[in-house]
Formats: sequence, C-alpha cells, structure tokens
Amino acid sequence: MTDNKSLALWKRVMMKRSAIGKENALLRATLENMNQGVAMYDADYRLVTWNERFVQYLDMPEEFLGTEKTFYDYIRYLGERGEFGKNADIEAELKKRVAVLDTSHSFERVRPDGTILEVRRDPVPGGGFIAIYTDITARKHAERQLREDEERFRAIDAASPVGLVIAAREDKTILHFNRSFCEIIGCEPNDILGKSAASLFGDPAEGAALAAILGGESGQRSEFRFNRFDSECCAMVSLADLDFHGNKAVCASFVDITDRIRAEEELKQAKEAAESASRVKSAFLANMSHELRTPLNAIIGYSEILVEDANDRGDNASISDLNKIQSAGKHLLGLINDILDLSKIEAGRMDVYLEQIFLSKLVDEVKTIVEPMMGKNNNRLIIDCPAKIGSLRTDLTKLKQNLINLLSNAAKFTKDGEVKLALSRENGEDGVKRIRFTVSDTGIGMTEEQMSKLFQSFTQADSSTTRNFGGTGLGLTITRHFCTMLGGTIDVASKPDHGSTFTMILPDQAAKPATQQPAELRLARRTNGVKSMKILVVDDDPAVHEVLSATLSREGYELLHAHDGDEALKMMRQSQPDIVTLDVMMPKIDGWSLLGIMKSEPSLQNIPVIMLTIVDDRNLGFSLGASEFMTKPIDRTRLVGLIKQFTHTKGATVLVVDDDPDVRLIIRQAIEGVGLVATEAVHGRAALDWLDKNPAPSLVLLDLMMPEIDGFEFLERIRKRKGGHDIPVVVLTAKDLSEKERVFLAERTILVLSKSAQPIGSIGNALAAIAERGAAEKAE
Amino acid sequence: MAKILIVEDNEMNRDMLSRRLARQGFEIAFALDGKQGVEKAESEMPDLILMDMSLPVMNGWEATEKVKSNPATKGIPVIALTAHAMAEDREKCIAAGCNDFDTKPVDLPRLLEKIKTLLAAKAG
Repeated sequence: MTDNKSLALWKRVMMKRSAIGKENALLRATLENMNQGVAMYDADYRLVTWNERFVQYLDMPEEFLGTEKTFYDYIRYLGERGEFGKNADIEAELKKRVAVLDTSHSFERVRPDGTILEVRRDPVPGGGFIAIYTDITARKHAERQLREDEERFRAIDAASPVGLVIAAREDKTILHFNRSFCEIIGCEPNDILGKSAASLFGDPAEGAALAAILGGESGQRSEFRFNRFDSECCAMVSLADLDFHGNKAVCASFVDITDRIRAEEELKQAKEAAESASRVKSAFLANMSHELRTPLNAIIGYSEILVEDANDRGDNASISDLNKIQSAGKHLLGLINDILDLSKIEAGRMDVYLEQIFLSKLVDEVKTIVEPMMGKNNNRLIIDCPAKIGSLRTDLTKLKQNLINLLSNAAKFTKDGEVKLALSRENGEDGVKRIRFTVSDTGIGMTEEQMSKLFQSFTQADSSTTRNFGGTGLGLTITRHFCTMLGGTIDVASKPDHGSTFTMILPDQAAKPATQQPAELRLARRTNGVKSMKILVVDDDPAVHEVLSATLSREGYELLHAHDGDEALKMMRQSQPDIVTLDVMMPKIDGWSLLGIMKSEPSLQNIPVIMLTIVDDRNLGFSLGASEFMTKPIDRTRLVGLIKQFTHTKGATVLVVDDDPDVRLIIRQAIEGVGLVATEAVHGRAALDWLDKNPAPSLVLLDLMMPEIDGFEFLERIRKRKGGHDIPVVVLTAKDLSEKERVFLAERTILVLSKSAQPIGSIGNALAAIAERGAAEKAE
Repeated sequence: MAKILIVEDNEMNRDMLSRRLARQGFEIAFALDGKQGVEKAESEMPDLILMDMSLPVMNGWEATEKVKSNPATKGIPVIALTAHAMAEDREKCIAAGCNDFDTKPVDLPRLLEKIKTLLAAKAG
C-alpha cells in the first residue's frame, strides 16, 4: 500500500475513531509502520493521535503529547525556545500559524540536526487537522547536488573556449550550443536553438558544408572553412555520438584553428620562395660558370701565345714570368671548376649521363693526359689493364675526372718513384659484376689522421699541402661524390713514407637510368629511314657485343649475336640479317674464311659484310689476312656513317671500272639482271671523266689493275674530290695484294673481294643488293 | 697550305685561335656568327671549319647542319668547339653532323692533332 493510500484510509478511520476517542490496534500498527510522522489534532487543537516517528522528528517533549496541552501551547513553547528568532513576536507567529490551520498547506522545516522535514497539514471536517511530516533530507540533498552539477556544467559550457553544439542527427537541428560556438562562428545566440545547422550561414555553401560535417561519424575530425565578419576562418570540428533527451544527436566541438592554418600557408609560401631562390641560384651558378671561365681562358690562352712568341724571340726572361702567369691561371681554373662542381653536387643538380664505355680506350686517353705530369717529379707511370677488360656502363666524364684526379695526386705526392693504374674485373658477393680501379704510388704516404680527413672539403692532409704540393683540396671530395653517384665506392690505404693506394670499385652497370631525351631524339631521326635493320654481330669477345649492342640499338637497329663462325652461319641461314659484322680473329673459323663461305652460298651471298678487328695497328691486321676493316675500339661515328651508306645511296647506278670487257659484260648483266643501271668505264681516267659529268653512283666496282690510271690512283683521286669520300667503292682484284696495298685500300674502300675467291656472278649479286637497297630506300 | 674557317663570336677567343693556328701555317678565315659561318663556308670553301657551338643569330648546331646539308660544303670537316664536355653535348654535336669536337679552353696540341687527322682523312 502506498503511503498516500494508507494515509487516506487512516484519515478516514481516524476521523471516525477520534470522534468516539477510541483507537484500533491495527491502525496503531499502520501508524507506527509509516515512513512519516503523523499527528492529529481535534477541534480543540489537542493532540489526540500521533506516532513514534512524529515524536522523533519533532523531538516533542513528553508534556505536549496527549490532550493536556494544546497546539497553541506547543507553538508558544517553540517561540520561547527561540525557534522564531530572538526578538520574535510569539503571539503574532502563533496567529499566523493558526490562521492557516483550516486550509491544506505544506512547508519545509529544518531540524536542528540538519534534517529537512516537509510538513503537510490538512483540516479535518468538524475541526482539527492532521499533520504529516516527511523526511525529505535525501531528496533535498539530491536536488542540491543536481543543481550544483547543472551549475557546474553551465559554467563549463559558458566558459569553454571550445565551441559546443549538440544537433539532432536526423535534421541537424541545433539542440544545444554554447557561447564559444557563437563567438567562433560569428552568429547571434538568439537565432540558434531549434534552427538547422545549415541555416546559420548566409552562404548556402558554408551551411551545406557544416551540415555535411555534422553528418559524419563519431570520432571524425574535419576542417570547416567559413567566413566570419568578412575574414576567412577555419575551425577543427570533432564529433561524438550522443543521446540527447531521447534524440539521436551528435555533439560537435569547434576549435578555432584560423591562426594555425594561416601559419601553414605562410610556411608553404616560405618553402616555395626558398625553392625558387634555389633555382635562381642554380641558374646563377650556370651563368657564373661561363662568366668565370671566359676571362680565365683569355689569361691562359694569351700567356700561352706570349710564351710561344717569346720562344721565337729567344727571350728567356719573359718566358719564366709568363709561365708563372699561365700556371696561376690554370690553378685558378682548376679551383673554379672544382668549386662549381661541388656547388652543383651539393645543390643536387649534378646529373649523371650513362653510356657504355670501352675501358682500354679510356685508359689510353687517361694515360695521354697524365703522362706529362709524371715528368715533373721524375716519376714512372705503369698501366696494368688486361686486354679483355671489356666495357662498363657509367658516366664517362666523371670516371675520367676521377682517374685523372687520383693519378695526378699520386704524381704530385711522389718523387723519383712509381705511379701505377691497375684495372680488374671481379664479381661482388651479390653476384654483381664490378670493375676495380687501383691507383697506387710509392710516395710520401699518409698518417691515419690525414686519411681520416681525406675526403672532406677544403681540408688537404694538412694546411701546408696546398703550398707545397699544389691542388685545390676539393678533388677527392668530388671524386667520392662521383663514386657515390655511379653506385660505387672509394677507399684508401696508406702508410707514411710507404706510398698510398686508392681503390675505386664501380658496378659494371651503373644503376641510374640514362636521361631519356637524347636517346629518344636519336631514334626519332633514325627510324625514318632504317626500319629496324637486322645486324648480326659475329665476335668471340663479349665486350664487342656489349658495346655494339649499346650503341647500335640506340640507333634503332636490331642486333643478333653470334660468338663463332659456326654459330654465325647457323644464324645467318635461319634468318638473313641485313648486315653482318665479322671479327677477323676468331677461333675455329676466322672472319675471312667465313666471308668466303658466305659468298659461296646462294642464300648468304648477298649479305653485306663489315670486317672488324681488335688490332689497332692496321698493318698487323693486314698481315693476318684482313683486308677491309674498322678498328676497334669502334669509332661509332664512322660505323654509323658506313652503315648509313648502305641505306642511303643516292641513285641506282653502279659504275663498273675494269679494263677487261668480259668482266665488265658479266658484271653488267648481273647488275641489270636485278633491275639496276650499270655504267662502264675502261680504266681509271674514263671513270674519273664519267664522274665529272654525272651524279655520283650508288657504287663503284673497281678493278685494280688497269692501264692509264689504275685502281689505286683512281681511288686517290676520287677521295680527293668533294663528295668523293662518300661513294662506296668495292675493289675486285685477282691480284694478291701487298701489305702496303692492303693498307691503302683499307683506308679507302668498304670491301675488298678477291675475284679468284668467288665466281663473278655472286659478286654481282652482292653488289647489286647493296645498291638496290639504297635505291629502294630512296624510292620510299 | 690548308685553310681553316673559324666561326666564333668572342673576339678574344677568335684572336687567340687564329694567331696560334696561323703560326702553325694555316690560312685563316673568320665568321662572327652562325649565319655568317654558313655563308663563308660556301664562299671560302675552307679545308676545315672550327665551329663554336654558342653563337648569335644562328647557333653552332644549326649552322653545322646547314653546312652539312649543302652539297657544296658537306665534305668540309667540322670540329665543334664547346665549353661543355658533357656526354649530351657530344651526342648533340655528332647528331648535327660534326666530324669531331673539342672542349674549351682550347688545348692547342690536342686541337692540332684533331685538325691534322681530319685534314688527312679528307685529303685521302
């Protein structure tokens, strides 16, 4: 039974009972069980019924319990106790209280021990009243707590520099906001509650943006850019899900990050300015490079001229002074070059240009450059480079600079001693093929301390070094940078008075890809005429294949590779190449024999052949049986030029120069048989006359032994003419050539075919094919 | 006596080169820019052309291409003179049709060697 119900019941009962003044035990139990204090006063305001709790709550003295005293007495007692205040008018207070007794009323009363009672009085019909006392201390306490919590929240909400908004998930209506939110967004507090988030902004785009952000997931952070009083602002918005008064809502915090964004923008601008400045500096460097070198060239150049003049005059005094000027100029030039190189490296603007390099040729060039330096200190230069050292893919200029630098250093710091350059091939642990370059000397050597500072800029071994030994102090720094750029390493080992050894190791194939542009440019030009010609390279030296591959494939030619005569023949029979390059000196079948075999096979006869030999000394090459050749290391320009000639001959005319009419007839028939024009000349002079009057032919077929002007002289003269250089001349001879003759011919002809070695018919076909190809190309 | 055409816009460089080559016994002709270089190649018909690559009016590469495509002058060997020794510049010179190239500052013995080689090849 609820207290109210039991109360109502009790009231009814009590009214009855009090009327007759009797009590019921059951009702007494109810009374005592109640959670409230109860008291009933009759019409005379005497206390006729009460419960224990009533006594406790009011701490009612015994004398007032029962009907002896009245309510008035009790009130007066309270007044005298001082409960209405010190100087209270007790009778007035009594009157006040009594006045309300015939109405229902309630009030709160605080007890001395802090308990708060709610007092409720209801009049009873017939007079008197019932008073119910309820202990509401806990409730009051809870109410106060709640109030305090709310105040705390309000304070935080109001004071927080972070803007807070609670919006309904569904329609983004603002359910709650704080002052900071208004300040951040720049809107009036009045217009916010109940409005949709989007409507807060004049610019619909901004409103939409905010609504979109508020639609995000709990935990999401977004940047919200908006206009506040005509200035660009930005707030960081963080979201959290919230259940707000039963609504699915999102709580969004707004932090003003306008300043931070501005700082980021400024930083970005500063970075761009710095980068722009760096670009300007690079352009400046490039310019300066030219500006610095030009006057220096004049100083060096003119002093050289003056030295020559002085030599002519025998003016020795001047020579010494002039040499000093020149030497200083060269030193300055070296310094400038090094400084500019280093600046470029450190600005990250030093490029690497990779190409395939024939190492023995490089070593020769380096030797030529450093040899003069050896004389100064009476040193001996030793080169140890294996013949089959092969090639390397790297930046030629940088490698050369490194070697020259190391060798000139060695020469500088060695007196009456030896400087040695050694190359070797090796395999690294990772299987990468490498080349080891060792520069060693028997010079003054270095201490551990000197070695430790070796590769740093501007520190030569010690400060007196520049004065005593020359140099810029930058060379090794640059050398080491270059090594790194080429994917290699450099190390030094040395002992004082026992010389030094520098070891540079570079990978066989430098990693960085070459700049694309030059190669592409070239291909574009070539493929106009060439249409992917197939070149079969026959050579037992893998290095030759590498170099030809690297160089010719860039020209747009397709390369096939064979390593000996047998393989070559097999490949040629399978798919006929457009041109074959033959190495003269090969094991099993040498190039010349191979040529013979080719010319005797109908399917191979027509393929043009270029002989290659590794022997630099042409004479030696001849004595071994080679006739026409190009020397290796291959001069690329000349090779390309030669091949060009096969494909760009100007007309379709073949000039046949031979004093034997039968030979001429057979050749003419052969040539006309393949649809070309043959012109005959009986000897050299006739041929020259013909050449004077007609455009150059695609080919000249030349017999050596002729009257009037023989083949040799014809060649001499034709090569002297303007444009005579370009005409392909093939020499047919039955004559056995002397070495001198071979040399002579080799310099002037593409191919020397010995007539006795093959039937005329096949020669004709071979030649016709060469000329025909040129005509065909021209016609397209 | 062989004739060399020097195409160089810088007065000092031109002066130095011509004096030193003249001392070696060459006959010297000048051109001050690329266009003049092409014209003089035809009018003077030198035995060799030394072509500076950075020229006003028409640059060295273009001038070389023009010389090499003119039937009258295509046989004249051209040595490119360039301040840059980079591989790309070598490629560019070869593509333009130069027979050889040398770097500035000029090393006279080296340049003479190249001149002699080209003149010998031309003469046959």
